[in-house]
Amino acid sequence: MTLETMIITMSSGMLEAIKIFTLTLAGALPFGMVIALLKKSRFFVIRAIVSAYISVIRGTPLMLQLLAWYFGPYYLFGFNIGNWRFPALIMGFICNYSAYFAEIYRGGIESIPVGQYEAAEVLGYTPAQTFNRIILPQVIKRIMPAVTNEIITLVKDTSLAFSLAYAEVFSLAKQISASQASFTPFVIAGTFYFVANYVVEFILKRIEKSMDYYK
Amino acid sequence: MILQMNNIQKQFDGLEVLKDISFGVDSGEVVSIIGPSGSGKSTLLRCATFLETIDGGEIQYMGEKAVHTDESGRTVYVNQKELRRFRSYYGLVFQQFNLFPHYSILRNLIDAPMVTQHRSREEATETAMDLLTKMGIADKADAYPFQLSGGQQQRVAIARALAMKPEILFFDEPTSALDPELTGEVLKVIRQLAEENMTMVVVTHEMAFAKAVSNRVLFMAGGVVVEQGTPEQVFDNPQEERTKQFLRVFER
Repeated sequence: MTLETMIITMSSGMLEAIKIFTLTLAGALPFGMVIALLKKSRFFVIRAIVSAYISVIRGTPLMLQLLAWYFGPYYLFGFNIGNWRFPALIMGFICNYSAYFAEIYRGGIESIPVGQYEAAEVLGYTPAQTFNRIILPQVIKRIMPAVTNEIITLVKDTSLAFSLAYAEVFSLAKQISASQASFTPFVIAGTFYFVANYVVEFILKRIEKSMDYYK
Repeated sequence: MILQMNNIQKQFDGLEVLKDISFGVDSGEVVSIIGPSGSGKSTLLRCATFLETIDGGEIQYMGEKAVHTDESGRTVYVNQKELRRFRSYYGLVFQQFNLFPHYSILRNLIDAPMVTQHRSREEATETAMDLLTKMGIADKADAYPFQLSGGQQQRVAIARALAMKPEILFFDEPTSALDPELTGEVLKVIRQLAEENMTMVVVTHEMAFAKAVSNRVLFMAGGVVVEQGTPEQVFDNPQEERTKQFLRVFER
């Protein structure tokens, strides 16, 4: 197999990796905010549930969580999991990354001085207006470095989809490497992750810079 | 009466910070509240501005009750929507300015009037530019708070409060976070407002300023108003031993 055929064969896997990455971000970025806000709920029970959720997600391997999402419905309810592979993968990724994003958001929200809330309150903003107009923009600026870290990790973590035998770039690399007795597929996969992250880093740096106009 | 507070009680974890304080402010009056740290003067302002909830007593703005204690001894506030209406009666200037760092100076002044009072951008901007001119910082309209000195930031904070067209303006130690050389420019602005008969309550440690600007001075200690009167009465002829003792510290 020539290098060119390898790259062409693996390119479908690259698209799959990008698909996992995009869907996970689209789900986890907003869902993380929901979890962060629930963790600041007035109700003890809600706070306790959310804390337990975050502990379990952070305390177990993502690979194990993916396996649980995939096989769980069959073992627990006897469901047919024929078409469940991709949804399970995305659910696993979103739930895992939401927990991490939630903690980043929470840290950001708690770092905003109480005086900002008080000034907004005295000026007659409603709690929702205060959060959306005053608090959230400042939170986003503060958490950008931590979020960038997480997003870069996500690019590399898409390779864990191989544990559900999902044909993304790393799974394909393993297959081709085995059949062709060659290490080259891994070099191609490595290059793919590096280039993808280079692009991600570039974009996120631009976003971070766009918020440089204030301190 | 613009503000009337009756029998205000406030505790923090069982510690009585305000013990049955009553005090009112008339239109055009400038009232200074002085006293040692921990005397409850800032807490009184924070109760008046609903940043703290009172444990007993009554607060009225423009003759309307915002909170009262009923027969059973429960302290009842009006609902959140009503409270926001009461908030339009007053403005508060904080010790730490608390400007919104992500908004330009102009935006700091026009955002709340537009969002919470539904004024047009044109009207809000006109009011804001007039205020900035008056504060001597019209050239900073497009700057961001971090680019300004402490004194300039505090003048923006005063302008932001005035942009809401309040009936009364509260100041919580407005110069305590400033270098001595910057306090002058802030005090000058407050003095100017006093000359225009703006109704104000100022918690301050600037005795000379309190004496020169106020119509009335309250001396607070240990959660009660120990003594009050004209600046001449309180500063030059204090009746209470606690007041004399406090003022002696400043004479030294």
